[in-house]
Amino acid sequence: MSSNWIDAAAEADVPEDDVTQVAAGGVELALYGAGGEVYATASLCTHGNARLCDGFLDGHEIECPLHQGKFDIRDGRATCEPATEAVRTYPVKIENGRVYVDLG
Amino acid sequence: MAAVFPIKPVWDQPGSSRIPFWAYTDASLYKRELERLFYQGHWCYVGLEAEIPNPGDYKRTVIGERSVILTRAADGSVNVVENVCAHRGMQFCRERHGNKKEFVCPYHQWSYTLKGDLQGVPFRRGVKQDGKVNGGMPKEFNTADHGLNQLKVAVRGGVVFASFDHGIESLEDFLGPDMCGYFDRLFNGRKLTILGYNRQRIPGNWKLMQENIKDPYHPGLLHTWFVTYGLWRADNKSELKMDAHYRHAAMVSTRSQQAATSEVTAGVTSFKAGMEVNDKRLLDIVPEAWWKGPTAVMMTVFPSVIFQQQVNSVSTRHIQPNGTGSFDFVWTHFGFEDDTPEMTERRLIQANLFGPAGFVSADDGEVIELSQCGFEQKPNHRTVAELGGYGAENTDHMVTETLIRGMYNYWRKVMDV
Repeated sequence: MSSNWIDAAAEADVPEDDVTQVAAGGVELALYGAGGEVYATASLCTHGNARLCDGFLDGHEIECPLHQGKFDIRDGRATCEPATEAVRTYPVKIENGRVYVDLG
Repeated sequence: MAAVFPIKPVWDQPGSSRIPFWAYTDASLYKRELERLFYQGHWCYVGLEAEIPNPGDYKRTVIGERSVILTRAADGSVNVVENVCAHRGMQFCRERHGNKKEFVCPYHQWSYTLKGDLQGVPFRRGVKQDGKVNGGMPKEFNTADHGLNQLKVAVRGGVVFASFDHGIESLEDFLGPDMCGYFDRLFNGRKLTILGYNRQRIPGNWKLMQENIKDPYHPGLLHTWFVTYGLWRADNKSELKMDAHYRHAAMVSTRSQQAATSEVTAGVTSFKAGMEVNDKRLLDIVPEAWWKGPTAVMMTVFPSVIFQQQVNSVSTRHIQPNGTGSFDFVWTHFGFEDDTPEMTERRLIQANLFGPAGFVSADDGEVIELSQCGFEQKPNHRTVAELGGYGAENTDHMVTETLIRGMYNYWRKVMDV
């Protein structure tokens, strides 16, 4: 599988225990700081038409602001209805204070 | 001379053989009927399981005037929920039927499972803006307290009934043993197949439809089609049976094998011996083993439904009132999974006797409308339903209005009239 690492944000701009939105390589991403790690998922909820960056992070679960569907930000799987379809996740690495995301 | 329009309607006659016209026209009585007959103490028909075979399937229908949705949830269970959003009361479901993973009210996108449980409320935890969170529902807001109204459901033989009244007796007790027997004769566990629908709005009081199928006096007189082709005769071997409350009934008849020209029909002016039906398939009647004898059983289950077996044509007829002088009448024509293609064709052809333009049923819609016209013009008058006497009892003949008297005997008790 090919890699396509893109500089997405400064590590300092990713809030701890919260979520922020960035655009990188033409892709809308939600970046999460949780337990000292950074995670990335697609921004759009797989259920309703809402952005997960407007949602609420609880541990490693992001709750969509619109219908309270939930996803695990580590693997993208839907953990609470009405969300049933996983959200795409992206590999993340930190180098020199920058967050790189592999868009594949 | 008595007033034409009663100030305060009083049923001053004993018994139930003389029914005041205002029983069909009075608006406040009608509201009481909705309350006491459709919303409390009675199981109402909502549909057939065969209409919602797969998880996610749903059908919108009504009980009385309340919009409800029959659903098949993800776990296969059959549910009935009220079509009123828990948030702002909107009738959110507009499609007649379909398949969905969830219900979402379009107004504010409150979303519900097919069982009616509230799943999500937009901006429940507020909206983030410039590092702070604005608004949202109060912390105490519990989704479990704000689902759709979930009705009590009973399924028997593939037929779904529901009730807003969770304290209601079992469906079997509601029907009583005799009616259960006729019900199980028709819905004997075979899977049903849906053949199609007829839908009509009849400008008359909803009770007139129940009475129509509790009245074996009229078919041989009004329905010239039946008489002409020998499908209904006053001397058919027959029985009229009611439940213990006289609210439900079965008109059971077995077609006579005699020639159709004996003296019983001689006086009926509509009988035209020379007429022949051009499309003989309409009379292509084949006896079926499950009939166990009777060629027609018409069951009235009070207040909401009629179950019809008229030779090979089987259907449910759902009564959906919408005011004192109007109701929607929805026919679901069905068959059974073990029907041959020829039998399915036969059931479909025979269904032409019924529905708004049916060779037989078109007559009923007309007379119900014209009865209502008579009632509206002089509400203080009354009908005379005294064929066969004054009381309500089961009979072994058709020459009686006993079932109508039975129904009003029950109606007077429940309605306190």
